[in-house]
Amino acid sequence: MAATVTAPPAAEGVSRGRPEWLERAVGQALALLLALVIALVLGSVIIVLYGESPIDVYRAILEAATTAKDGPAWVLAAATPLIFSALAVSICFKGGLFNIGVEGQYLVAMVTAAWAALHLDGILPGPLLMWGVLVFGMLGGIAYAAVPGVLKVKTGAHEVVTTIMMNGIAVSLVAWALNGPLKYTNAPAGENVDLRTDIFPSNARVPELGHLLGFGPAPHLSWLFPMAVVAAVIVWFIVKRMRLGYEARAVGASAGSAQAGGISIGSVQVKLFLLSGALAGLVGMQQILSNNASSTGGGYLPQNYEATLGFTGIAVAFLGQNNPIGIVFAAIFWAALSRGESILPIETEMPREFVIILQGILIMSVVITYTLARRRLDRRQTGRVIAEEEAVHEPEPPPTIQEVTA
Amino acid sequence: MSKLGFAVSIAFTYFTIIYLTGIGGLFSERSGIVNIGLEGLMIIGTVTGSFGAYYFGAKLGWGVPAGPLMGLLLGLLCGAAFASIHALATVTFKIDHIVSGVVINLVAVGLARFLSTIFFGQATQSDPGQPHLHVISIPLLSKIPEFGLAFQGLSPVVLLPFLIVFPVWWVLYRTRWGLRLRSAGENPEATRSLGVAVAPLRWEGVLLSGAFAGLSGAFLSVEIVNNWREGQTLGLGFIALAALILSNWSPTRLLGAAFLFGFAQAIPLALRDWPIIRSIPPQFVNMTPYVVTIVVLAGFIGKVRPPAAAGRAYEGTTT
Repeated sequence: MAATVTAPPAAEGVSRGRPEWLERAVGQALALLLALVIALVLGSVIIVLYGESPIDVYRAILEAATTAKDGPAWVLAAATPLIFSALAVSICFKGGLFNIGVEGQYLVAMVTAAWAALHLDGILPGPLLMWGVLVFGMLGGIAYAAVPGVLKVKTGAHEVVTTIMMNGIAVSLVAWALNGPLKYTNAPAGENVDLRTDIFPSNARVPELGHLLGFGPAPHLSWLFPMAVVAAVIVWFIVKRMRLGYEARAVGASAGSAQAGGISIGSVQVKLFLLSGALAGLVGMQQILSNNASSTGGGYLPQNYEATLGFTGIAVAFLGQNNPIGIVFAAIFWAALSRGESILPIETEMPREFVIILQGILIMSVVITYTLARRRLDRRQTGRVIAEEEAVHEPEPPPTIQEVTA
Repeated sequence: MSKLGFAVSIAFTYFTIIYLTGIGGLFSERSGIVNIGLEGLMIIGTVTGSFGAYYFGAKLGWGVPAGPLMGLLLGLLCGAAFASIHALATVTFKIDHIVSGVVINLVAVGLARFLSTIFFGQATQSDPGQPHLHVISIPLLSKIPEFGLAFQGLSPVVLLPFLIVFPVWWVLYRTRWGLRLRSAGENPEATRSLGVAVAPLRWEGVLLSGAFAGLSGAFLSVEIVNNWREGQTLGLGFIALAALILSNWSPTRLLGAAFLFGFAQAIPLALRDWPIIRSIPPQFVNMTPYVVTIVVLAGFIGKVRPPAAAGRAYEGTTT
């Protein structure tokens, strides 16, 4: 997805008198609205075919996320890893790269973070341990993202295929760690424990946030959520205000022109991959340092960890239109829809998988409407620039080509 | 040695999956449309194929071979139908091919779960009792001492790659349609200037990719596993893509490339007990296919030449 190039300051006396950025924002909002309408309409068709009422189904999903007990806390807790994941995907998109490997990067990061939580206990006192664990998670993600990044730059191996393969390797790496170096040692005697690491010291845990907002402890809403929002702001700052962000957007928009402009494409792409890996490293922290934490323990990494957050991050990045702040809202919206999954079989006759289909339709229509809207806006801008320069040529009529049928 | 025979027989199975999917990718990319959605198309093939084999074979009592054949056919058709989304997005709306392919893969996982709840009443696997075709043994080859094991008890679909390789080559290089398809992938502007419409060719390329990937997925769930299970495609769609690159987008060279990747798949399954391999933790042995793919991709990518216009939208008039 090509990066949206920052709007140049609107020229004085533009034909319609509307600033260009406003026109762009309105156009993008309309595209999002259209995609939502398409998804809701197609979703309604499926619901009706199932013999249910669309209004009931949509209301059930909405209520699960909002008015139900601790609904918003569940949604924000579920949105937390999605924000990190989508940010990781989007930072690569900015440079025209597809990091499909966030999945593998966060799996490996959970292993390195778990190692740190179990081995740095005495070294990092008090709350420092938690920060150390987070840093080790990021380092794990960085190291694992470096491989496809370097391969891309040095050999040209397409990152989509290499990162997918790295995901497969990561699954085996986690299995190896849980069967070998990180296998639990402290299982209660005679009890059959599912394969997992030892329980982390309690100061590795990310503190709860939910009770400060009046929610119960069940959803495990933690300080990782505000951290994810801060991460989004940092990514926004990097992309919009820093040299790397500028270079990334240049490479993403047109690699050839960027190179001609003196930007080293390879160096930018490797940096983006490393940054992406750092963000990916935080995706798994919500589950191992908060969801799995109890009142006494600081969490653990189990064999049946929650997977596919990296892939969902791609969808959220598309929905958030690759914009860091948009991603925060997109992740919350996505998590709200997912929250409806559990309620559907209870409140209605719809299977819970309906939500996945709804999300799929939404993402498909969003991708199409965004691209069409952007193309339209670009064309209008080009037309305006041409008009401003008063470079008016008589456009040649397209040659009529006779169809030669086989 | 019989272990090696067993490994080769497993390699043949994966070879078939990778070859059929790769041929699908070949038609799409030769027409100029990059298709990283092959994995998703395969997933649709697995779930619908399994349903076809179960519904027609066991439930309607059509038995063998009608049931599994219907499964394969259903997988093929549904793969093509699902690929039409990719064609619509990339050819008609000119969406970035990679973006659309990623979305195809994402949507396929959810759609497969949804279809599975409709077909089987559960989200992640199919009903048992699904019939498959009678297995065959290759005459002569299966009589080779020790090694003959590789050619016994195979699904007849394993022969398909060898049956289609020449027709595919002939269609691509000796027919007018094949020339036009390839020209749409090399230089769509020139194609158009000669009065040939690019979009229909690309639609056909993408639909064929869906048909082949869907058939390949159905082969996996109907003939090999005899069951649909979520996640059973294991990234084979992407491995097929790597095989396609290694083959330099040639149907004949794809035979060798697909066998190489097929054999890599067989190592953790069949050669696990070899002394050298037993000394390595099994999780590392399981990584073999992925590592081989990365190494091959990194080593060969600069030495092959993809269709010149693959991945590029044709911005001409709508037809």
